[in-house]
Amino acid sequence: MSAAANKKPFDAGRAAYLALNIVLLAFLLVPIAIIIVFALNPTPFISFPPVGVSLRWFEKFFASSDFMNALWLSLWVAACVLVLSVLIGGACALALARGNLPGRTFLTAFFMSPLMLPAILTGLALFQSYLLAGIGRPVWGLIMAHTLIAVPYVLRTTLAVLHNFDHRIEEAAAALGASPVRVFFEITLPLIRPGVFAGGVFAFIVSFDQFPVSLFLVVPKSETLPVVLYNYMKFDLDGAIAAASMVSILLALSVVLAMERLIGLKAYVKL
Amino acid sequence: MSLRHHAARMAVASHRPSPIAWLIAPAVLLFVLFFVLPFAVMAVMSVYSGNPVNNPNAYLTTRHYERFIFDTAGIFHDALWATLRIGLVTTVISLLIGYPLAHWMARMHSRLGHALALTAVIAPLLTGIVVRTFAWMTILQDKGVINTTLISWGVIHKPLPLMYNEFGTVVALVHIYVPFMVLTLIGVIGRIDERLEQAARSLGAGRLRAFVEVTLPLSLPGILAGSLLVFALSISAYVTPSLMGGTDVLTLPMLIAQQVGTSFNPNFAGALGVVLLLVCLVIVIAYNRILARLSGEQGLA
Repeated sequence: MSAAANKKPFDAGRAAYLALNIVLLAFLLVPIAIIIVFALNPTPFISFPPVGVSLRWFEKFFASSDFMNALWLSLWVAACVLVLSVLIGGACALALARGNLPGRTFLTAFFMSPLMLPAILTGLALFQSYLLAGIGRPVWGLIMAHTLIAVPYVLRTTLAVLHNFDHRIEEAAAALGASPVRVFFEITLPLIRPGVFAGGVFAFIVSFDQFPVSLFLVVPKSETLPVVLYNYMKFDLDGAIAAASMVSILLALSVVLAMERLIGLKAYVKL
Repeated sequence: MSLRHHAARMAVASHRPSPIAWLIAPAVLLFVLFFVLPFAVMAVMSVYSGNPVNNPNAYLTTRHYERFIFDTAGIFHDALWATLRIGLVTTVISLLIGYPLAHWMARMHSRLGHALALTAVIAPLLTGIVVRTFAWMTILQDKGVINTTLISWGVIHKPLPLMYNEFGTVVALVHIYVPFMVLTLIGVIGRIDERLEQAARSLGAGRLRAFVEVTLPLSLPGILAGSLLVFALSISAYVTPSLMGGTDVLTLPMLIAQQVGTSFNPNFAGALGVVLLLVCLVIVIAYNRILARLSGEQGLA
């Protein structure tokens, strides 16, 4: 079929279609590429075209205690969220796929709903709850808030893997005399691990880049990186933001590569 | 294949929950404590005059909703309308950009090309909203990439107002939410049998007619689901309108943040939150209905 398409002479419609899509892809990618330009451009304010290459903004970023404290807080919160959401979301996916629960469709939609409801409202609702409970705005409150938003991602990737693998492998192991615990640890867990792990990576990124949920839940002097960047951007628009953005992007990029290695990006598109 | 498995499994499965069902407990606990309860608290706060726990004088009132409905300050209705307008424009443009991309990717035969295009779509998704909004600020501001380039070419003499207005807000929002549209559409378009379009063409329909009369109607559920998703996401956006909109744009999420941050009126913020929540709930329910019908056709839950 594709061979037949290739045999055709020049096709203006097809060429225009290809050109259009390349322009659209460029629209998605150019803004991110531009951040690299400004992160390396040494002028004191954002200016174009760039005049040179320097690492001064990276130095400023890594030398600033405000940025560094925020970076470490974000990394710490994201690491906790990764562990919690993998445990809670992975267990929940297993229960939904194998637990024979009544109302599975409803339950799945319910556990996915934090993705659909405005994150800023989740932040507001938690802010008000912490206010009423009189517990202030502790870091663990922020971690739980991020976990709530991250669990649906783990749930989605794990459920996708659970749907894709043949249930009869488990039944065969059980029929051959393996105990349910052994079936779980030797068959189910290794098979769903890529999905759970990919979900965990998503969870990490979602927490690390999280803004709307964090906005009302952080206290001054103990803010996550996106909140610090946002506050900085309201007054200053210099290369330090670009450098900080680059650090985040490099992190995201390594995650995409890790994901591609682990289970292949294609698995997500079937969702 | 998987359909048959599924059917067979359904037939042998008993209706009693198995012990594995208990694994749902931590998730239920998390969602009750940090999701259901907080939203209930938000609704309760919206009908109280103050903090009902530590303020003994707090009383039940509908005044926050009255303040929104009668809108004597003349800003709340404008904010609601601006929120919906920005959401709608963002959705339509995201669809116009996302559909060709999704169609192209779903029909792509090269695995490498598909993987590259998909990486290009997912990469922005994994870049934080704050970072992507920053990128658009550097592009659209007065001394940004577009204005300085056009001025240096002599096309314009003073900077175009690309930012601190709805235009800039929508451009950045579209960039942020197009990947959601593409990812929703790829799956739906990919499931449409390509041979249907080929059959239409071999029966004499032109390429455009085959697309409009065969592929487009079949992808309608995906278009609806993707549009609802993007609409729900863009009406709840805060970072982008507040940074790109300047003083020109005021949306519901921005009002909510103002009430919490500067006015410190969490009760009124709660009422505004309930209004935004109701709008979103209608969208979410419609979205889930469409998705359920979509996956129902596929025999997947």
